[in-house]
Amino acid sequence: MTAVNTTVEAKSAPTRSWRRWAQRHGWTVGIWMLLVFLVVWYSTLIPRFGGFQFSTIINGGTAWIFLAAAQAVVVIAGGLDLGVGGLLVLTSATAAQFMDGQPLAVAVVMAVVILIGSAILNGIVGWVVAVSKVPDIVVTLGSLYIYQGLALMMLPKVGGGSSDGFRWLFTGSATGIGTNPWPAVVMITVPIAVAAWWMGRTPSGLSLYAVGSDETAAFLSGVNAVRTKIVSYAVAGAFVAIAGFSTLAIAGVGNATTEGGTLTLNSVAAVVLGGVVLTGGAGSLVAVVPAALILFFFNPILSALGVNPNQAQVIQGVLLVFVMAIAGLIELRRRRRS
Amino acid sequence: MNTWTTHARVVLLTLVVALVGAACSSDDSTDTIAAPAGQETFTIGVSNNVVGNSWREQMICAIKAEAKARGNVDQVILLNRDTDTAGQISDITSLISQGVDAIILNPGDPEAFNAVIEEAVAQGIVVVVVDNGVTTDAAYLVSNDQVAYGELGARWLFEELGGQGNVAYMRGIDGVGADTDRDTGFQAALADFPGITIVSEVFTDWSPTTGAQQALEILTTKDIDGIWTSGIDYSVVEQFPVAGVDYVPIVGADNNAFIGQLLNTAGLTGVAITNPPSVGGAGAAVALDILEGKTVSKRTLLTPAAIVDKADLEAVYVEGLTEGWSSYMEIEPYTTYTSADVIACKGPGE
Repeated sequence: MTAVNTTVEAKSAPTRSWRRWAQRHGWTVGIWMLLVFLVVWYSTLIPRFGGFQFSTIINGGTAWIFLAAAQAVVVIAGGLDLGVGGLLVLTSATAAQFMDGQPLAVAVVMAVVILIGSAILNGIVGWVVAVSKVPDIVVTLGSLYIYQGLALMMLPKVGGGSSDGFRWLFTGSATGIGTNPWPAVVMITVPIAVAAWWMGRTPSGLSLYAVGSDETAAFLSGVNAVRTKIVSYAVAGAFVAIAGFSTLAIAGVGNATTEGGTLTLNSVAAVVLGGVVLTGGAGSLVAVVPAALILFFFNPILSALGVNPNQAQVIQGVLLVFVMAIAGLIELRRRRRS
Repeated sequence: MNTWTTHARVVLLTLVVALVGAACSSDDSTDTIAAPAGQETFTIGVSNNVVGNSWREQMICAIKAEAKARGNVDQVILLNRDTDTAGQISDITSLISQGVDAIILNPGDPEAFNAVIEEAVAQGIVVVVVDNGVTTDAAYLVSNDQVAYGELGARWLFEELGGQGNVAYMRGIDGVGADTDRDTGFQAALADFPGITIVSEVFTDWSPTTGAQQALEILTTKDIDGIWTSGIDYSVVEQFPVAGVDYVPIVGADNNAFIGQLLNTAGLTGVAITNPPSVGGAGAAVALDILEGKTVSKRTLLTPAAIVDKADLEAVYVEGLTEGWSSYMEIEPYTTYTSADVIACKGPGE
């Protein structure tokens, strides 16, 4: 690293700060640019691009964004949560059971209760992971099945519903379909911005990165690794609950038979595309948001191109492996040079 | 340490992959057929939420075949994937965004799609719901009459038994609309035959393997005179020789394998009640009729037929058809394709 430092110092100060900025935020900027490019491209593929199209993308993408954000928080702290998809099904089934036809105020209170419950439940999973030393992939595979089973117990048949006001919060319309994307934009921006600030600016948030990059070093510098792990899983639980509410707001009816496993895999894919390092310690929610939207956006784009959705999955998979391979190559080159 | 340039390269390469994918696929989609001069052409969108089920597969092939046979459809956009309600809603919105003229939809829920269907209709799109119904009036419905399906087969069976005997009642999936409707018809027929006793009632979940296991258990433990099945038929018939008992009269659906058994198995009597997946083709026909300006009824219920005579069975039987496919493909007076078109499963421009 000393060699690198001397070369950097030899250059002028503005170039150095620009380089540092680019190094830290290059991926984030790139993925946002890719999203903008895809939206512009999509708008040329279809006859009309207006409020309806914009709001269907934002509305449909909301659950993907929060599920990906949940996974990102856990991965940054050095874990992996395969249970998130199951927890989404459980929270949306629970909300469907209790929110049906309620006024907005009651629905919001219930949402808060479910959100806290979801955070506690997943926090317990985090605690098991942290203290048992059983690999997180095994523990959370178990929690995936448990959540899915609990969801079926909560809502044995397709049914229940959401509250009209609550649907408006996530879709800009009491019917779940409309042309107003702004409520959903706010519902995405506020929680993500708060979490991004917490993770980047506060000691408890930064300890996620510390534990994720080197648990022993973090412990030696006074970070409580067990507590940090629990917090990461709990925050993920809260994010998943929001994803569950959004899913229910769009569908208007609860369904506990949805495959949680598929949803989990989407969240892992979004985290990878969002540049979060799978071994932990690095990554940003700000890059995960556009990554999740891009993955959601794949189906509309490919169908506008006339690609069969099942072939679309193949293309999606190839692209993901490709991105991973390129990211790996960059990392390898960087290590060789330094 | 030129991370910025490498990052930029990653993004560029990703774009290239996306564009290459686009280029490959747009070749297919722009391959349109030339319509006769002066005739308007249409784009049809299809949304289906169950993949890998032969009934649904054949339904989609019938939609494609009808679109091709009409000659005025330039593209069928097929959104066919296993997905939940939110996913299917998003598929329908992307069909709306693509500016299709009609959407043919097999909905996974009776109420969840009302808002998106109403939005599509408000944007001038014809929506035809096939197979499973929805509660909104905005959509046209084309479906098989499931109440009549249940009653027709049950009456044939009870009359065949002379109004006396023990019957096994092998249903579909508990709580699903079609199963509930078929039960309504079955019970209506049963009420007229006090001499018939239901000795066994099971849900096959419309799975050939589950149905086979249940049939074997029934045949080896109970004394029965007839079996009513909700379309899980050919795998049930196969259990008689396994159990070592004589055939009893059986009610099945228009599955080609079952019709083959009725034609070729000595000692087996039965009836095939039609529940054609080509209801999809009829749905496409209805959608195109509306687009062409014809007046069409909001609800089209296809009345099932009972195929029992050898000549009729021979007429519909198709040698070498995929197992699980229905042999009954042309639906008068709606569809204009031939059975061979459905089997070929090619849409316009394919």
